[in-house]
Amino acid sequence: MSDVNDCATEEVQGIRLVRVRGEVDLSWSQQLRKSILAALNGGRPVAVDLSQVTYIDSSGIAALVEGFQNARGKSQRFSLVAVSKPVHAVLELARLDRVFPIFATLEDAAK
Amino acid sequence: MSTPVALRPAATGLARIGPEEIGILADFSHAFAASLDVGETLRRAVVQIAEHMNAEAAAVFLLDPVEGDIVCRACAGPVDVVGLRVQQGRGIVGRAIAENRVQMVRDTSCDPDYIGDQRGFHTRSILCAPLDTAEGAIGALQVLNKRDGALFDNHDANVLRLLAVPTALALNNSRLTRELVEQNRIKREFQLARQMQKTLLPARRRDYPVTALNLPAREISGDFYDYFELPDGRIAFCVGDVAGKGMDAALLMVRASSCLRWVGKDGTPPGDWLAKVNRELCETVTRGMFVCAVAGYYDPRTSMLEIANAGFPPLLLRRADESMRELQADGPPLGILDQISYASQRLALAGGSLYAFSDGVTDVRDGERRPIGVEGVRALIDRVSGLSPRARVRAIVGHLRKMSLADDTTLMLIADDAAPSRYLGGLAGSSDPENLRLVRRKVAELVLELGFDEDQRQRIVLAVDEAVANVIRHAYGGCCDGRVELSAWLDTDAVRFELRDYAQPVDPNRIRPRDLSECRPGGLGVNLIDTVMDRWQFRHPEEGAGNLLTMIKRLP
Repeated sequence: MSDVNDCATEEVQGIRLVRVRGEVDLSWSQQLRKSILAALNGGRPVAVDLSQVTYIDSSGIAALVEGFQNARGKSQRFSLVAVSKPVHAVLELARLDRVFPIFATLEDAAK
Repeated sequence: MSTPVALRPAATGLARIGPEEIGILADFSHAFAASLDVGETLRRAVVQIAEHMNAEAAAVFLLDPVEGDIVCRACAGPVDVVGLRVQQGRGIVGRAIAENRVQMVRDTSCDPDYIGDQRGFHTRSILCAPLDTAEGAIGALQVLNKRDGALFDNHDANVLRLLAVPTALALNNSRLTRELVEQNRIKREFQLARQMQKTLLPARRRDYPVTALNLPAREISGDFYDYFELPDGRIAFCVGDVAGKGMDAALLMVRASSCLRWVGKDGTPPGDWLAKVNRELCETVTRGMFVCAVAGYYDPRTSMLEIANAGFPPLLLRRADESMRELQADGPPLGILDQISYASQRLALAGGSLYAFSDGVTDVRDGERRPIGVEGVRALIDRVSGLSPRARVRAIVGHLRKMSLADDTTLMLIADDAAPSRYLGGLAGSSDPENLRLVRRKVAELVLELGFDEDQRQRIVLAVDEAVANVIRHAYGGCCDGRVELSAWLDTDAVRFELRDYAQPVDPNRIRPRDLSECRPGGLGVNLIDTVMDRWQFRHPEEGAGNLLTMIKRLP
């Protein structure tokens, strides 16, 4: 059900994968931010799976930007995976679609 | 004035400029540079010049551009000649200025240009150097009668020429400063006059049948327009153009517009309305000045128009079927002949529009420098026909601006198609982020049937959601119990969202999109709103506390 907002982190193929689902807005984007920053702890590559995100606002985008900048500061890999159409539309609007490394699948991100 | 005492012997026969001249030159330049009062410095300077040149008297003469003659501004010597006036070109001083060359007269009795002794002072010899500037000589420095019966020589002439340089420079600087101050003062006055004139124009009203715009050619305008409602529901309107475009025209504009407003308040038929104002203006207006004007009433309930035209360019009626009709003036301009009657014309707007424009519009020059004329205006009106009335006026003025505007330009449009905005819906609630989901559902529902495609609808939902999130985060600082109201309106060609909060007023200047080229979290919301919406405005509402954000998205 798309009504459920959730993010969970797991290890897949040596990558810390943050799976996000639902509508990311101001009401819980702080949670996403904390999950991403926590996943970055430990130095592993981090990927954020956005395939189940049906909506994202600028506070959600800000959480992704902060994760990206944090990783870059530590030369850590950070990518977005399986970006859903609504998320991609917002990234484009904010002209961030070329800033993030974006991969269609986790396998691509792991290469 | 005390007789100057020679501090040093005359330097006769010295063929070069010595250290003493350099010293006095330095003193001079310094005194002028350090002085805020050129007049006072000048008075001290002539005393020094007389002393240094070992002359009985010295004086500074300046051209007086107002009187057109030459006047003595400072002098040193036994006789005070300050204020003495000499015709331009006359006297030795006149000759020095006219020729812009040093004049040396060793014996005045042999020089036909010598005017004669002044106030009992016998002048034997004169040395006179022009005060030269980039715009030519502005005056002259003069010394009279070398002491002890000696004669002025070439060295003296060189020294005087040398001293004339810093003197001219200082006088010129002070004149330029005065002119600049005066120019700034006049500019400020004109700005105030313009502001004052603007307040005479009626406030723009949303979705009102009458729309108008005035572009002054200079700071102030000779054009005017006005509209107001009568108790019976009709709208009275007038447009006028005063001959000329200077301050006189602007002042007459004030008089003519208040006369027209005063008479129009009575609901007098347009022909009689203009005749009455004409009689009044004929009594008071300076000969040679006149006012072209249109006055009339529009009844929005019946779309009936009643108008009269005094020397104004033809009005253009564009009917609903897109055909066009010109309505010529039926009398001469106001303020020329006092016993004139004007005919009222009645016509139905019936879904059409009436355009009134001052001759500044028809006189606009096209690419070949030819006035576009009424034909050109007709073509412009056809070009913009698909737009809302307000957008039409703006688009026409936009086209005119691309050509060359020379005169005051005024355009009025009375349109029968200014449909009032329709309330689409809205919601109100607390500033809890949990409510954002409801906001998105509501906005998606409101814009569903307006012709936007899915992508556009999602973008609109995003922009409104960002706006509400900004209210929650910034206006209420994250506090969840503030009140937020959102309403959506359908205007003629756009959907309009109004977002109201009751938080502390936020400075509208702080709300602006940031540079997207720098990658950083935060501050993106306004950018998204700015990108998605065609227009938005953040302001303090007219009534009550809080902030009001208006966002407009044109229909596809």
